[in-house]
Amino acid sequence: MAHQATLRPVSGGSADTTDLALFVQTSQEEVAGWNPERIVEALVRETFIDRDTAVSIAADVEELIKSAKIKFLTAPLIRELVDAKLIERGLEQARKMHTRLGMPLYDVEQLITAQNKENANIPHGPEATNLTLAENIKKEYALLNVFSPEVAEAHMRGDMHLHDLGFVDRPYCSGQSIEYVKKFGLNLPNALSIAKPAKHAEVLLAHMVKFAAALQCHFAGAIGWDAVNMYFAPFLTNMSDERLHQFAQMLIFEFSQQAVARGGQAIFTDINIYWEIPDHFVNTPAIGPGGQETGKTYAEYEKEAQRFAWALFDVYNEGDGSGRPFFFPKPLVHITEKFFKTEGHEAFLEHICDVAAERGNTYFVFDRGETAKVSECCRLSFKLNDSDLNDAATPWKMRFSALQNATINLPRLAYRAEGDDAKLFEMVAEGVRLTVEAHRQKKQFIEKLLEMGEGGPLGLLTMDEDGERYLRMHRVSYLVGMVGLNEMIQAHIGQELHESEEAYRLGLKIIAHMKLVADKYGEKHDMHFVLEQTPAESTAYRFAKLDIKQFGEAARRVVKGNEELNEVYYTNSTLFNVASDNHALERVEREGRFHPLIEAGAITHVWLGEQRPPAESMANLVEKIFRNTANDQVAFSPEFTTCLDCGKTDRGLHENCAYCGSENIEGITRITGYFTKLSSWNKGKLGELKDRYRNDNAFGGSAAARAG
Amino acid sequence: MLPPIKGLLESSLLEWRGRVASAVFLPGCNFRCPYCHNHGLVLKPDEYETMSLDAVLQRFDELRKWNDGVVVSGGEPTLHPGLPKLVAKLRAAGWPVKLDTNGTKPEVLAGLLELRMLDAVSMDIKAPLNPVAYRRNSGVAADLEAVATSIELLANSGIEVEFRTTVTPGLLDDREVREIRELVHSHGEGLRYKVQAYNPSDPLDPELRTTPPGEAAQPQSPTRPKHLLANSA
Amino acid sequence: MTLFTKVGCEKCEYVKKAVDLDSLGVTEQRLSGDNYEALAELAYHGLVEQAQKTLPILVTGEEEVVYHAGRIRSYLQRQARA
Repeated sequence: MAHQATLRPVSGGSADTTDLALFVQTSQEEVAGWNPERIVEALVRETFIDRDTAVSIAADVEELIKSAKIKFLTAPLIRELVDAKLIERGLEQARKMHTRLGMPLYDVEQLITAQNKENANIPHGPEATNLTLAENIKKEYALLNVFSPEVAEAHMRGDMHLHDLGFVDRPYCSGQSIEYVKKFGLNLPNALSIAKPAKHAEVLLAHMVKFAAALQCHFAGAIGWDAVNMYFAPFLTNMSDERLHQFAQMLIFEFSQQAVARGGQAIFTDINIYWEIPDHFVNTPAIGPGGQETGKTYAEYEKEAQRFAWALFDVYNEGDGSGRPFFFPKPLVHITEKFFKTEGHEAFLEHICDVAAERGNTYFVFDRGETAKVSECCRLSFKLNDSDLNDAATPWKMRFSALQNATINLPRLAYRAEGDDAKLFEMVAEGVRLTVEAHRQKKQFIEKLLEMGEGGPLGLLTMDEDGERYLRMHRVSYLVGMVGLNEMIQAHIGQELHESEEAYRLGLKIIAHMKLVADKYGEKHDMHFVLEQTPAESTAYRFAKLDIKQFGEAARRVVKGNEELNEVYYTNSTLFNVASDNHALERVEREGRFHPLIEAGAITHVWLGEQRPPAESMANLVEKIFRNTANDQVAFSPEFTTCLDCGKTDRGLHENCAYCGSENIEGITRITGYFTKLSSWNKGKLGELKDRYRNDNAFGGSAAARAG
Repeated sequence: MLPPIKGLLESSLLEWRGRVASAVFLPGCNFRCPYCHNHGLVLKPDEYETMSLDAVLQRFDELRKWNDGVVVSGGEPTLHPGLPKLVAKLRAAGWPVKLDTNGTKPEVLAGLLELRMLDAVSMDIKAPLNPVAYRRNSGVAADLEAVATSIELLANSGIEVEFRTTVTPGLLDDREVREIRELVHSHGEGLRYKVQAYNPSDPLDPELRTTPPGEAAQPQSPTRPKHLLANSA
Repeated sequence: MTLFTKVGCEKCEYVKKAVDLDSLGVTEQRLSGDNYEALAELAYHGLVEQAQKTLPILVTGEEEVVYHAGRIRSYLQRQARA
């Protein structure tokens, strides 16, 4: 059964002194006299040990201190000595409950003075180190007290990776719309003031930014916003081009700047944009200034929504002060059947392709047939079901979240299966089972925190303006991710996904199997498990390193990258080897066939290197991808080099500035789903970059010459 | 006799504006532009294997989902007497065809245009039509009359035409680019003219490797649809 | 040729009764909560989303897709006669 997270009330104790004249540096930054009663109190308070045993242990520890002639005592040291005694007596459970969490002095020193590269989004600085220290403790806490030993060990061994353990007390990511603050204003728990629903666009934007910051403190991953251009539209009527452009600039600048929460990261923001008014919003009453219905439906604001969308992309096209692309907010444009039937779409498609070719910002999300999605994260999306579409009449209710992401290490399953198909599939199912267990434990923990209501640790998520808690647990998903499908197949049959039909089909079978197993568990536990393409920034690196350690040759045969430079990695989720020589568009299509199985969303990257294709050609390509493949989402990634000396930005990754020759440069390209600077990448991603087959001129192989 | 195909691009966004197109490259050229980065094809074509047209067409067939056309480039394709035959075969396989050329063989162009074999042409204008500038940018004493004739021919052809110039700082300046642009537009206001920055990584003249690329004219951003203008009803 | 069906699908049964799949070289892939082979095959042909809306679906030898029981039946009957 799921491990019980223990939260117990605080209680007091009494003091007493002995003749051991020692001073103890306590954790409350004071120096106190030695007092064994403190040990007794702690044991009784924190574990289930009875007082007599506790007194006996305290006496043992005092003996030990006397005989070792320890002169300098600290509370942590005493705690370790007590833990040792607990072990001696076989009191394992008590020891776990009594244990101290934290980091060694050496590690803290290293941390404060060097860079943390796990998350490419976090700059170095005091906030960042605070974040890391806190995360470390919460990670330990999670592994000891939230997840069962089975799950925790699976994580530590590297069979599975539980993402954002340092944020165990939060959900993972969320999707919502500004309708909530439009309608209810800003009334956050613990805020010093309340804001009534905005009457003007700029104020609404300010509310959105504040709300986003508050949300960022309560989620571990991305904050996604649905149909942003449409929802702002009722506030943008009769705006001049100039003012609209300014407003678009404001929005993008607000979300692109470094924020203070979450260790100094920029808020990881996704904005969903539609050229058309989606069918499910056509009859929705529009909310305007003051949180009042304007009397029109959103269909009647199509023009304003489109003007705003256009203006946003004008700003993206300009880039920031030095010509670099905006890392955030990420614009996700939904390409649908209706898109192609909406007036002006050709020009808009060219416009966003222009931006894609110039800056790489644009994410193209393909909603085929009648699927509607709210997208967020680099690839996460929520498919709207029938009840969601009913909510479309009251869009502030459309709030989704993924609670946790747990990723399976696929390649090592192949090492263990040793070529046996049945074993391989069995182990995949077992891998899914473990993630399901982890999710159930996380769910339980979060629910416990939510139960404490607005005064509790997740107060904001329990706020209720419309009859439901903000975090709607009944519309929450649990993500099951995977890393290294390519290497798993390679280890199992000796061929990579792109190398043979057999390998490719086997890959599809594995993922199909994962999906069906996850679905079954979903029915069993009434939870929504979905497969996801794990962003895998550090996970692919971690798994690769652990596997080399634990599986040696078997892993070395397939791990990618350069072991000597410590830049090793597994291929991201279900993607093809980044170095594969195939025709890039054929790869797009082949990778795309996995996408419908990966319900939470998937993305295909097309790397453009330094070339800058014409927008019209790209638009042609985007339409073909929509019509001819099953791809969920596509992004084009140009690469840039910014010179720190002369300030100019040039396309392509170079070692010198093309303008002034300086070597003091920064490379910028896309790490998994978002842009960041090369100098902040972790080693695994650096290895991958070296291997990337870039379409320097075209999408196919066998080019004997480059065009002029 | 079919010209030998020495190079192939399977699908590219750069060869034919508005399309995803493949490109085949023919060897040999009558120019020696200092900034050329296909100089291998031009100077040592024997070092490249010749690809069979059948194999190429078969591969193109597999890419019908992606490609909308084939570009014939090089080197200078119009030097090959077998060019019309190649184009005919591509058309017969159902492919629209674009030709890249430096315009020194207007009679070849005329022939192809008359038979309506080309859907589009991209012609390089290396410099304003004066011998000094042209020699500087093409590396040879070019037949400027021929070039002028080709420009006229293409401008009046009625098919999709693009004139383009590669700008290498030191070989061509802004004033000269303006001159070329004016020349093109004197044949028709709406004619497409594109300026491209040169690629410093592997030019014919190795001295140019250290020349930084100029800031070539930015591609025109698409215009916003009329119905979205601020004051439209 | 491959015919995608699922358990409890009347239209699928209709097709199966109307033609002899084996003799025509049609493999049935029955989608279910356990059959990952069938699902993988479906994904291979890029038909996952379509199958959620309509079944049966037939994929012919030339990678053409035929939807709807009636049309599938007609198609297969024509094949039988050819």
